[in-house]
Amino acid sequence: MDIAFLTDIVKELFSGLISSFWIFVLTLLFSMPLGLLITYGRMSKFAPLHFLAPQHKPVGKMRATLANFKPIQFICKIFIAVVRGTPLMLQLFAVFYGPYYLFKIPLSSEYRFTAVIIGFSINYAAYFAEIYRSGITSIPVGQYEAATVLGYNKAQTFFHIIFPQMCKRIVPPVTNEAITLVKDTAMAFVISYPEMFTVAKQISAAKTTIMPLIVAGVFYFIFNAVVAFIMECIEKRMSYYR
Amino acid sequence: MKKYFTLFATLAVTMGIFAGCSTSSDTKQPETNGDTAQRTTFTVGFDAEYPPYGYKNDAGEYVGFDLDLAQEVCDRNGWELKKQPLDWTSKDMELNSGTVDCLWNGFTMTGREADYTFSKPYVDNSIVFVVRTDADIQSKADLAGKTVITQAASSALAALTNEKDNEENLALAASFAALEQTPDYNTAFMNLEAGSVDAIAVDIGVAQYQLTNRSDLFRKLEEPLSTEQYGIAFKLGNEELRDQVQTTLDEMVTDGTFDKIAANYADYSLDQMVCLGKE
Repeated sequence: MDIAFLTDIVKELFSGLISSFWIFVLTLLFSMPLGLLITYGRMSKFAPLHFLAPQHKPVGKMRATLANFKPIQFICKIFIAVVRGTPLMLQLFAVFYGPYYLFKIPLSSEYRFTAVIIGFSINYAAYFAEIYRSGITSIPVGQYEAATVLGYNKAQTFFHIIFPQMCKRIVPPVTNEAITLVKDTAMAFVISYPEMFTVAKQISAAKTTIMPLIVAGVFYFIFNAVVAFIMECIEKRMSYYR
Repeated sequence: MKKYFTLFATLAVTMGIFAGCSTSSDTKQPETNGDTAQRTTFTVGFDAEYPPYGYKNDAGEYVGFDLDLAQEVCDRNGWELKKQPLDWTSKDMELNSGTVDCLWNGFTMTGREADYTFSKPYVDNSIVFVVRTDADIQSKADLAGKTVITQAASSALAALTNEKDNEENLALAASFAALEQTPDYNTAFMNLEAGSVDAIAVDIGVAQYQLTNRSDLFRKLEEPLSTEQYGIAFKLGNEELRDQVQTTLDEMVTDGTFDKIAANYADYSLDQMVCLGKE
């Protein structure tokens, strides 16, 4: 196994690494804010029928259930259940081929990358939403009470008091997700978007050796080491009270 | 007053959602991308792990016999060639949804004539068995009780599982200990090398590529599993594009370019396998 051969493989794999890198960056860019939006919906207490059960007045069971019905929370729960409960592979299929097979809209090849990003973003947003929720619910109720006493409104309480603390607490699980995402990018080839692992398999087929797969493994490891390092730096910067 | 407004708003939004769902049902059938007058690009779908028909070269570009032909066709028509590597199991979805214009990658016509609009056959292919050099398998009969692997959704698999007029091959497949499937042939060769399977059923061109590169490890059985022909597959009914590609290919045969491209792949016996314009 000579050096020139190895540098060849590394050079070729690099183009695949760039594809994987963009999937990673764009997915994080879109799924993290989307996740926050879903968390907000998931924790929404909006109950449009609450007038059916006025306070200090006994009502029937049926009426009480209806009065407690929270439509936004319900929709978000369903969304999270579906996204977490079905394989990412299937979701990528649905996003890419869905428009054609359901609505007969002819697809273009340019849509491929968009579909990859949409599919990954939706999937990861559901996971991020639950991570955010765990962060938000971990803040003691006393802080909300204190904020109310100090005259903070709901938005101020959230953005000035709750959100910064949430960010600190969710760094470890977010790191977990980010690292999983790096490895999940290999899934993009189910809708024929060639990322790093696909490129490694192609080189492996052309050169009839498994060396490219080993090099790909090293690339993934380095990629994740960098991600973990960055996240650790963020975590350290945020621990300003310790 | 406020609570009635909230109730009304909720109802309005709900109805809006349902109304939005119903409008999409009457969209019309898509037209095939046969608009050759405005065509500027030509997207070829291929399996990039299928040397020598389509693979990655040392410079990291997709090359191969079929892609070289496609490039020449595009040059002559003033199209820009787009090479789209596919996950072979989703090739039909890609072709039907219009993300690729054709499947051009050692694609077997035999038995699939009714499913695609095909060009004229351009390569005579046979499916062969590849075994390890040290294995005691000399003929198809020796494969009884052995594990055989092939590519999912491939013509080799079809040749072994097709129910129609195929008693001999079906009986052969029944004699195997197991018939396994893998997404790509490279994995199949890894399996064979590692010993987890005993034989691969594979198109001869692909087999020849591996044998040329690793003759010490593998050999092929003389007796082929089946013979068949390769064609370029277009979406069913897309005759306009098919005809234009076919005309260009015929020109290339006449002026010798076709044979010249085949000669570049003589290492893998492709020059002896091409059949366009030979009858």
